[in-house]
Amino acid sequence: MAGLIASSFVALATAEEKVDFVREVRPILEANCYQCHGEDKQKSGLRLDVKEAAFRGGSGHAPDIIPGKSAESPLIRFIRGDDGADLRMPKDAKPLTPGEIATLTRWIEQGAPWPDGVDRIQLADKRDHWSFQPVSHPEPPATRRTDWARAEIDRFILAKLESAGLEPSPETDRLTWLRRVTFDLTGLPPTPEEVAGFLEDRAEGAHERVVDRLLDSPRYGERWAQHWLDVVRYADTHGFEVNTERPFAWPYRDYVIRSFNDDVPWDRFIREQIAGDSVGKTEATGFLVTAAALLPGQIGKDDASKRLARQDELGEIVINTGEAFLGLSIGCARCHDHKFDPISTRDYYSLQAFFAGVKYGDRPIENPKVEAIVADLNARLAPLESELFRLVLPAGSGHTRAPVSARGNLERFAPISATAVRFTIQATISDNLREPFIDEFEVFDTEGRNVALDAKSTKVSGGRGKENLNNGIYGNADCWRSNEKGRGWIEMEFDRPHRIEQVRWGRDRTGQYGDRLAEKYTLEIRSGSGEWKTAADSSDRAAFDPDRAKAALFQPEDLAPVSRSRASEILARRKPILDELEQYAGGRQLVFAALSDAPEPMHLLNRGDPEQPKDEVEPATPAFLDPVQLPGDAGDLERRRALAGWIADPENPLTARVIVNRIWQWHFGMGLVETANDFGHAGTKPTHPELLDWLAGEFIRSGWSVKHLQRLIVLSATYRQDHRIDPAAMEVDAGSRLLWRFPSRRLEAEAIRDSMLAVSGRLNLKTGGRGFDLFKSRGGLSGFPPIESFQDDGRRRMIYAHKIRMEREIVFGAFDCPDAGQSLPRRRQSTTPIQALNLFNSQFTFDESAALAERARSEIGTPIESQVEHIYQLALGRAPDLSEKTDAVQVVAEHGLETLCRAVFNSNEFLFLP
Amino acid sequence: MSPQADHLSLRGRHLLDRRQFLSRNATAIGSIALTSLLGRDGLLANSNAPIIDSSQPFAPRDPHFPARAKNVLVIFCAGAVSQLETWDYKPELIRQDGKPLKGGPPVTFQGPAGNLARPQYEFRRRGETGKWVSEMIPHLAELTDDLAFIHSLTSQSNTHGPAENFLSTGFVQDGFPSLGAWTTYALGSDNQDLPAFVSIPDPRGVPQASVNNWGPGFLPAEFQGTPFSAKEPLRHLAPAGAVSKAQDRAARSLLQRMNERHLEKNPGDNQLAARIASYELAARMQLSVPEITDLSTEPDHILKLYGADNESNAVKAGYARNCILARRLIERGVRIVQLFNGAYASGGKLNWDGHQKLKEQYDVHAEILDQPTAALVRDLKQRGLLEDTLVVWCTEFGRMPMFQKGAQGRDHNPDGFTCWLTGAGIKPGVSHGVTDELGRKAIENVHPLYDFNATILHLLGIDHERLTYFHNGIERRLTNVEGHVIREVLA
Repeated sequence: MAGLIASSFVALATAEEKVDFVREVRPILEANCYQCHGEDKQKSGLRLDVKEAAFRGGSGHAPDIIPGKSAESPLIRFIRGDDGADLRMPKDAKPLTPGEIATLTRWIEQGAPWPDGVDRIQLADKRDHWSFQPVSHPEPPATRRTDWARAEIDRFILAKLESAGLEPSPETDRLTWLRRVTFDLTGLPPTPEEVAGFLEDRAEGAHERVVDRLLDSPRYGERWAQHWLDVVRYADTHGFEVNTERPFAWPYRDYVIRSFNDDVPWDRFIREQIAGDSVGKTEATGFLVTAAALLPGQIGKDDASKRLARQDELGEIVINTGEAFLGLSIGCARCHDHKFDPISTRDYYSLQAFFAGVKYGDRPIENPKVEAIVADLNARLAPLESELFRLVLPAGSGHTRAPVSARGNLERFAPISATAVRFTIQATISDNLREPFIDEFEVFDTEGRNVALDAKSTKVSGGRGKENLNNGIYGNADCWRSNEKGRGWIEMEFDRPHRIEQVRWGRDRTGQYGDRLAEKYTLEIRSGSGEWKTAADSSDRAAFDPDRAKAALFQPEDLAPVSRSRASEILARRKPILDELEQYAGGRQLVFAALSDAPEPMHLLNRGDPEQPKDEVEPATPAFLDPVQLPGDAGDLERRRALAGWIADPENPLTARVIVNRIWQWHFGMGLVETANDFGHAGTKPTHPELLDWLAGEFIRSGWSVKHLQRLIVLSATYRQDHRIDPAAMEVDAGSRLLWRFPSRRLEAEAIRDSMLAVSGRLNLKTGGRGFDLFKSRGGLSGFPPIESFQDDGRRRMIYAHKIRMEREIVFGAFDCPDAGQSLPRRRQSTTPIQALNLFNSQFTFDESAALAERARSEIGTPIESQVEHIYQLALGRAPDLSEKTDAVQVVAEHGLETLCRAVFNSNEFLFLP
Repeated sequence: MSPQADHLSLRGRHLLDRRQFLSRNATAIGSIALTSLLGRDGLLANSNAPIIDSSQPFAPRDPHFPARAKNVLVIFCAGAVSQLETWDYKPELIRQDGKPLKGGPPVTFQGPAGNLARPQYEFRRRGETGKWVSEMIPHLAELTDDLAFIHSLTSQSNTHGPAENFLSTGFVQDGFPSLGAWTTYALGSDNQDLPAFVSIPDPRGVPQASVNNWGPGFLPAEFQGTPFSAKEPLRHLAPAGAVSKAQDRAARSLLQRMNERHLEKNPGDNQLAARIASYELAARMQLSVPEITDLSTEPDHILKLYGADNESNAVKAGYARNCILARRLIERGVRIVQLFNGAYASGGKLNWDGHQKLKEQYDVHAEILDQPTAALVRDLKQRGLLEDTLVVWCTEFGRMPMFQKGAQGRDHNPDGFTCWLTGAGIKPGVSHGVTDELGRKAIENVHPLYDFNATILHLLGIDHERLTYFHNGIERRLTNVEGHVIREVLA
């Protein structure tokens, strides 16, 4: 009604006179709107003081001005209060007068004429920014001093130093450089032999030989992969409240380590991580799903919760891709146009459309080798298990059997000819809250053959998912499920009698799930005569023990006491096989990666809210670079390949710059651009823009070789400088950003732990595979009790630890270890009393101090002087000077060698990349 | 300003200026004393981000404007306490007991919705304000006149973990800094011998979002909460290995000499000096933390007041001891103490997540919460500590007015729930914001939790829009791009 009146009024007025924007319209906007929609604030993304922005409109109702259609223009609806008092504008202020409303209405009806050139403010073109310009190809500059530079890099650095009136520091001593480059490239200190070898190698090319050795070492990839895992927030749990284990994340971690070791060209590394499943590198797409994610059971049952969870999942992929490869905080544009960078909400959703077919989940890696490995492991396991079985006490023998375990339970009974078995569950753990699950129910005859496995001759009844009971597949995804909470039954009927002597059943043999476990049960067998008899039940099992909820078969109390020593011998031989088998689910190695599905339609969402979908969008890259656009019917792989190609294009001005800056930062502690994840307007400018471009160009020319770039860096004069502080230079450049010295810094958490183990002689160099435990739990709700003392696998390099998202390791976590919540572009260097307490008092430090002391004693013998010298050599790569030696010898004589080791592991000299 | 300074962010430029000033006179150890100036000089008031000196991260720093509260005690009830069984009285819900909710959602978080269910406890008018409060919490109810209630809070998530993240960090995602981290980053602490931010987990276990509630996110790690309780002492406070006192002292002093010799060879290096200082701080904490967790000095009447002497209910006694610990920490100037009541998801057994048997489980939880928490607030008041201390009682969201289908409990409801404030800067006896007559949704003065956090910062003298930290391209805040101070609850 209001609209009608206004329109007819406008029709009359139009005939009379043209509204003048500058004289009549702008003063109204200025007085009433600019306070919230002008230069300082742009509430809801709307600004009305600049023509271009005003016609584009805000994030909620754009366009707000529809020329010629005042009744439909949100601007008019808001000032009139058509949509309720809550939405009347200006908010909480005096409404516009009827005359003012009429003027604006007439203006829009007349086509909203807004002359060019009248705005007082010119909007800066967001594309006009250094990092969006093509990479230039600068020549290294001339410098006054000509005897210092070893490489092009040095000339860029020296020129800047000279213009700031600074001089480079002298070259550092050979030992310091060796420790620096060894920590830097491998995360470990040089061994005394490596130190001696380098110090004695006075021939030409000694430095180069060290660098080649380090870059060729498998330890190199273990160090450098960690840098990338920080950026992509890698973890082995799903995060959020339940934080359950993500058991197959590690193949992606191993892929990253391998890629660094193999010097996979960076452009290929990008393509593989985005669309590796199209080239047989499925594990590389673990990159897309590194974020925390809600599992289906943790998402609300209502549709809105599901839509939000899906949108969050996709959002994390876009954020990761934008930050990791392009150095752009694209995530902002999910709810509103990026405040600083040329990324609109439409750009965001168009980019998201490239991933519209990606789901999070486990998928098999194509690998025939794995099947052979699993077959071999099973063949080795079988004789051990059958011997163990002979030692198992039968049910009802008067002994108390082990408590039920989710990972598997064995019921042994006297051989009997059976035509059917029945398993009745009377109760489950956790107060019968849930329906019991069983992943496989195996019935073995006296030949050790699982007779239930033959589906043709076995009829299964009871519950849901019956076929899962005897299909030979373990794990939660393939479970039988009861219809009732806390109870249930299964019956298996055979088409002929079998002479059977054991039944094995479990809730999840892969060890992931421990809930829904049957606790009270009866196993009955129908003999040839048709009579049912109880063969086993839970009455002689010990009470359920949460600490042993996932214990493996053949627990001590299940074995006849007389044979326990024989049993423990077999168990010890069996354990490594089981551990290895655990990495493979049913013969297939899985990876948590991108599941490729048909792309779902993607809509622009108002304020990022999935409940407010707007136009459908097609896959398209942001408009500011040479854009790629695909039709809406493009398939998932086609989409991801196209995006990967656009990112990995040598012409993309961001990609090479972003990675060479990261590499620089990982060597020097700070990048040429301080904000490594943000090359946009809100980030900082490069200290050395020409050098950055030169590095990017050189990187592409070398075939995107990371190792090539690193060789240039660590052999440069810049990198070889001493680290000592020069007070005069500090006054000019306290942060050493111009690199008048080498910026020494504390080692990262992983490097400290690994180095302690290396020095104590106990570092386990086993590579790859399932992570070792830092906690007694691999995921879940009830907290993470830490492991304090580590054996065997626990002494592997820390990158191979099972990484719990958001839970920091109890000793080293405090040393700025990332929590895998958000992308971490650069490790911080905090110094806290908690770090001091951890490193000085933890069991780990005591264990490794004892080990180092023992090592010194066994390698050197008794003289304290020699022990002290050896410890200095091992830990610090040098001999103690006289006063150090006197001091240490006295302490050792009085308080033991361990006391010295404990102090050394806490010392600044040991803990710094010099 | 040096020639390269224009390459730096705003924060970087400030740091550079300060460092240049300091480095003129800096020598190795001396620079620590000098740099402590950084903390004191109120830089916060003029720039977006506080300037932290790494050798003195907890030096007290001035707020943006005069603060009403110096310290905060956050009592965090994990699992989502039902507003309908506690503070938000809904007589209409009694009348409509057993009827379906017209136009209500057929499916809520956990599944199909059942019918409306009356509050499971009787309500009674309390104090001078005459506010209706539930019989479930008789001791807390006696405090009604002192509390300022906000009945109209909303959360962005209906899932515990993300919602606890949202309450504690302002974001549903993992990885953002907690309220306590932001607070100590802004203000440092008045006690250098204790952690500036202490989190006290419930005796039953950690809350659902666990360490996220006290994590540093991307802020410097020193600002994370240090978790310990009356039962579980701070880790690594004492040597884990078997060493004599003499050996321990010898290792410490040898380390000191090694580090000093090393510093002599590397003069002027602040990082090295800061690490030396951190061992001295650690040594002080080794003395002060055991002293504060030793409750044997508390008189019997105090133990009795809190219920810490309760021999028949170990969980209650344990929580009560945590309450006493919280008071002792506040007394000694710890900036922010986070006290948890309730643990992780457990079908409502260990926390307030009453989906199935709400009344039965709340009888147990209320007994644990009520007396000790009320005693804590009273004790703080008696000692005059509420003059400077803000007490916050909160939970991640509320519960539905319906029971779940086939159950005797309520599902998650992020659309309208109650938290309260008391103590420094708070107007007592206020009830602000309203939910509809059945308690389903906030309808008047609706406040997303952003507003709640903005209000807490405001009371500490911090403008939530100016307390920022640059991370991945954005000046991040506790309140994202939202937040309005709820002035109606301010004194």
